[in-house]
Amino acid sequence: MAVETLKFLPWIPLLGAVLCAICCTSPALRRLAGAICVLSVASALALALGVYFGPQSQAALSGTTVHALRWIDVHSFSAGFSYYIDGLTMIMLFVVTGIGALIALYATGYMKGDRGYARFFFGVCLFIFAMTTLVMADSLVLLYLGWEGVGLCSYLLIGYYYDKPFAVEAAKKAFIVNRIGDLGFALGIFLTWTTFDTVSLHEAIEKARHILEHGGEITTAMQCIPFLLMAGAFGKSAQFPLYVWLPDAMAGPTPVSALIHAATMVTSGVFMIARLIPIFELSTYALPVVAIIGTFTALLAATIALTNNDLKGVFAYSTVSQLGYMFLGVGVLSTTGGIFHLFTHAFFKALLFLTAGSVMHALAGQLDIRTMGGLRKRMPVTCWLMFAGCLALAGVPPFSGFVSKDMILHDALARGLHGEPLFFVLAIAGLFTALLTAYYTFRLWFRVFMGPERFEMGEEHGHDEHAAHDEHASGGHGPHEMPWWPMNLPLVVLAIGAIAAGILAEYVGGEHGWMHTMIEHSTASVEHEFHGELFGLSLHSVMVVLSLLIAALGIGTAAYLHWLRRDAAGVLEQKFAPLVKLLVNKYYVDELYDLAIVRPLRGCGKFFNLIDDYLIQGFLVQIVGGWGPRLVGYVLKPSQSGRLQSYGVGMAVGVVIVMVILIFKLTGN
Amino acid sequence: MSNLMVDKVATLWPEMVMLAGAVACLMTGLSSQASRRRTVVWIAAATLVIAGIIAAAGTAQATSGVGLAGMAKFIKVAVAAVGLLLLMLNTSSTSQEGVALMRDTPELGGEFFAFFLCSLTGVMLTAGADDLVWLFLALELTSLPTYVMVAMGRQKLEARESAVKYFFLGAMSAALFLYGFALLYGAAGSTQLADIHQYALDNPHDGLLMFGLVLAVVGICFKIAAVPMHFYAADVYQGAASPVTAFLAFVPKSAGFLALLLMLGIVGWPLPQPIAWLIAAIAVATMTVGNVLGLVQSNVKRVLAYSSIAHSGYMLLGVLIGPPGSAPGSGNSATSAIGNGVAAVLFYLLAYGFSTIAAFAVLACLRVENDEAQTYNDLAGLMQRRPALAAVMVVAALSLLGLPPMVGFLGKIYLFGSALTQGYVVLVVIAVLNSAISAGYYLPIAASCIFSKPMRDVQTIEAPGRQAGAVLAAILAVVLGFGGGKLVSSANDAGRVVKQKHADKVSQVDQEKQFTSQ
Repeated sequence: MAVETLKFLPWIPLLGAVLCAICCTSPALRRLAGAICVLSVASALALALGVYFGPQSQAALSGTTVHALRWIDVHSFSAGFSYYIDGLTMIMLFVVTGIGALIALYATGYMKGDRGYARFFFGVCLFIFAMTTLVMADSLVLLYLGWEGVGLCSYLLIGYYYDKPFAVEAAKKAFIVNRIGDLGFALGIFLTWTTFDTVSLHEAIEKARHILEHGGEITTAMQCIPFLLMAGAFGKSAQFPLYVWLPDAMAGPTPVSALIHAATMVTSGVFMIARLIPIFELSTYALPVVAIIGTFTALLAATIALTNNDLKGVFAYSTVSQLGYMFLGVGVLSTTGGIFHLFTHAFFKALLFLTAGSVMHALAGQLDIRTMGGLRKRMPVTCWLMFAGCLALAGVPPFSGFVSKDMILHDALARGLHGEPLFFVLAIAGLFTALLTAYYTFRLWFRVFMGPERFEMGEEHGHDEHAAHDEHASGGHGPHEMPWWPMNLPLVVLAIGAIAAGILAEYVGGEHGWMHTMIEHSTASVEHEFHGELFGLSLHSVMVVLSLLIAALGIGTAAYLHWLRRDAAGVLEQKFAPLVKLLVNKYYVDELYDLAIVRPLRGCGKFFNLIDDYLIQGFLVQIVGGWGPRLVGYVLKPSQSGRLQSYGVGMAVGVVIVMVILIFKLTGN
Repeated sequence: MSNLMVDKVATLWPEMVMLAGAVACLMTGLSSQASRRRTVVWIAAATLVIAGIIAAAGTAQATSGVGLAGMAKFIKVAVAAVGLLLLMLNTSSTSQEGVALMRDTPELGGEFFAFFLCSLTGVMLTAGADDLVWLFLALELTSLPTYVMVAMGRQKLEARESAVKYFFLGAMSAALFLYGFALLYGAAGSTQLADIHQYALDNPHDGLLMFGLVLAVVGICFKIAAVPMHFYAADVYQGAASPVTAFLAFVPKSAGFLALLLMLGIVGWPLPQPIAWLIAAIAVATMTVGNVLGLVQSNVKRVLAYSSIAHSGYMLLGVLIGPPGSAPGSGNSATSAIGNGVAAVLFYLLAYGFSTIAAFAVLACLRVENDEAQTYNDLAGLMQRRPALAAVMVVAALSLLGLPPMVGFLGKIYLFGSALTQGYVVLVVIAVLNSAISAGYYLPIAASCIFSKPMRDVQTIEAPGRQAGAVLAAILAVVLGFGGGKLVSSANDAGRVVKQKHADKVSQVDQEKQFTSQ
């Protein structure tokens, strides 16, 4: 297929969204929504694959601009629906539509019988539209449109259970925290426009490259742009200090957590920085700051995940932590590593969330892992699928998570050994985080699936229609395995990805692997070689050994404390009670924000509300605006007496006045 | 000479068709068979369609310098199109109940539609005028039939009273502008606009000419219901039958604005300072008076009358700005419709026309206790009874208010934007404040349709023509708001032809004058 056809790609899910919206209107149509959504996303995937394997794949990979629609065209400013297709775009399209289709398929089973079934799939389709627009955009304005679009869908889907106060609160929190970052992003776009005279991605990047290569004046404004864009990336990708919304976002249905808050949307910040890497290189400090924030967030979130007892909460913090790795990757100029980790993470984190969803589904909404144990007998498929995901997340070679994380840490370490001590420290912190990751991942898995069997059913009595025919929700029989179709089968595909995607993308296809080739043919490519030696061995081999040791240590500890000797965990917990308390309370960050930001702002709001009530509404609107014109009206009303004579006199007087003024004007000149 | 006559007549085919149609309506209306008499509406419609097609097919003739010859085509087509819409409003009910409901409205005969067509012909002729006598006749051809239409449209004492008021005050205004024309003739020695224009260029500060011009302008202000000639509007609009009121709100107003543009074309843009000052003062007074009086009304027909006054005030801004390229330093105006005051006025006339016709059409479809629906209470809860009509009313009110995406918003953008490009910031601020005041009576119209509980026993007339007209006008008000680009550009093309050839010379003379006075 010609590369031109890609311009239709985002509109297929949008069409799906429209159809799903129509399905919302009648109960008879409602059940069709799931199939529509899966089909539309799958056709988008097919289109992307068709172009990739088609005759023009070279064009698709080497950076082509495809124009679809004119949008804003004013004077010298133009922003249209034009798409920029290169290797990075294709990777992102595969992730978004591929993982998206699998998750949508799973969701057709997961959401079955829910009264908002069609509304849910409307949100998913709309999200895919916005996300594909985001990754394909050539203009920063269009990228922003997609950016806000995914934000909107995220808000809608977090608040999917709108009758539950905590879901509504979480949706609001996500939206508001994202606003802070998006303000920075918008300012960054404005500044790009005033600095580079273009909002087109590839033109701005070319200009930045030109300055980098041929040396040109780097203005202060140019150095500010990356920091403003960074704010947007940190908001959307849940990095410190704007990460607080993501753990709460788990209030949405689990497929949403998997799709939006793990696999795709939250990675768009990483994508954006990778896409605009030459612009970030304009500032000496921008990328190191990205790396520092990323590593710090990775460590912070991993420590919180250590003591979290919420099934989805652990994975939420682990997502924040893994996103930190990706930022470390792009921050050390290892864009291949960053995007690679984005790619593999999408597989294994989606898998983990969906298997967690299965457990939650089977236990009628139960999320507290302290109430679970030994579920492997009742849910064997889910158990081993999650195991595969856990191995990938824990970074066990040769699973996919290891390969990509290894690349990031390797590149960081290589730069650290080449006289940049900052990156050495970051790499060590990254390795330590990997240890924590291995521990908390398997802590969860051992707790849920190993040991003696125990479970408590949750509060949720299934979905409305569900409860009648589904035995597991009616109690008595306890949890049981999910059906193969449509739920477990997509998970198997994801599990294969979680196991093998890393190795395949690293060693198959092209001289340096598929991933490397793809990134090289994109705006994210950087001319930077990472090599190094440690202890006489190539850095690469050292990393493999280190990773194995770390993973073994983490998993071993977890196995000891949470499988073999569960009582020891309690003893340890008591010993470090203050620390555990700090971690369980997530470093009191939410409370701190509440005290330092939310309350003062609320106070301000109350004050301004008073001004609004009394000065604006009371004085200006009621008295000046309301009574002023009315008063004049009442004064003039007698002139409309209805008497012909007075009208005639009025007209005559008017003419006389005009004439007098005219004489005055003419002679006074 | 004879060649000139032939050329001139050749531009008048649409008008001739219209007059022929009027005669045909008159004749058919005299028929003894009721079924034959009923065909007059169709004859009138066919006339409008044919005239519109001829006007659209014709080429724009550029006559001698001044005149609206270039705009004439745009205006003739627009008049034919809006005329069709107005015709739909004036159709009567097809059902027995509907006829019974409309007891105070006589079955409109052939003569009504003949007057209807004559009045529209007047507007077309105004657009093509290049002579004072012609202009006067065209204006009177527009107005005289309307006096009769007001009286005929409704068998009520109020209608007769309105007609009498309208006639006397109209005659007074005609006397005023005829006096002005006489003075112009006295000053320039010719009735040809081109000659007077040449005279004005040569003698830019001739007092007699100025007096004549100002008298003419003030007299024409009656047609557009601008201060100080606005008194009649509320009474006449209220007294006339709603479909006729819709006619009054569009047709004489259009003729008036065309005549104003012709008159001011004599001195050319930028207008000499006293004239510009006068127009600005009239504009401000008109929009303010219209809006504040509209605010204290409870009768929707009167409210719409005051709204008509206020909108004339807005449009006077466009008249003040004039065609593009007339002000030094407005480099962008040649390419953009913003900056072309004439185009803005032409577009706004249509925008206002569709919106206000939609509003009156809804009123024309409703009856309360053997009378027309005309108070806020009559409209209350319309949404529950007739959602389609209520939606039309809401669209009309919001469009008149100038809310996007309705066409009224686009119209205001062009008017106010053009005024801004010429630096009339204070005027624009006043105009925008006035728009805000107007929300005080447009929004209650919309709100009472949607939110209020039905208060009175309102019945709907089964008159397909009227309902279709209402819906069509509302659709146009929305569609043009989204896709008015084509119309704007054709208005822009039309407006550009009026460009003054000698504008530079005027300003040059002005500068010399200033220089010598220093």
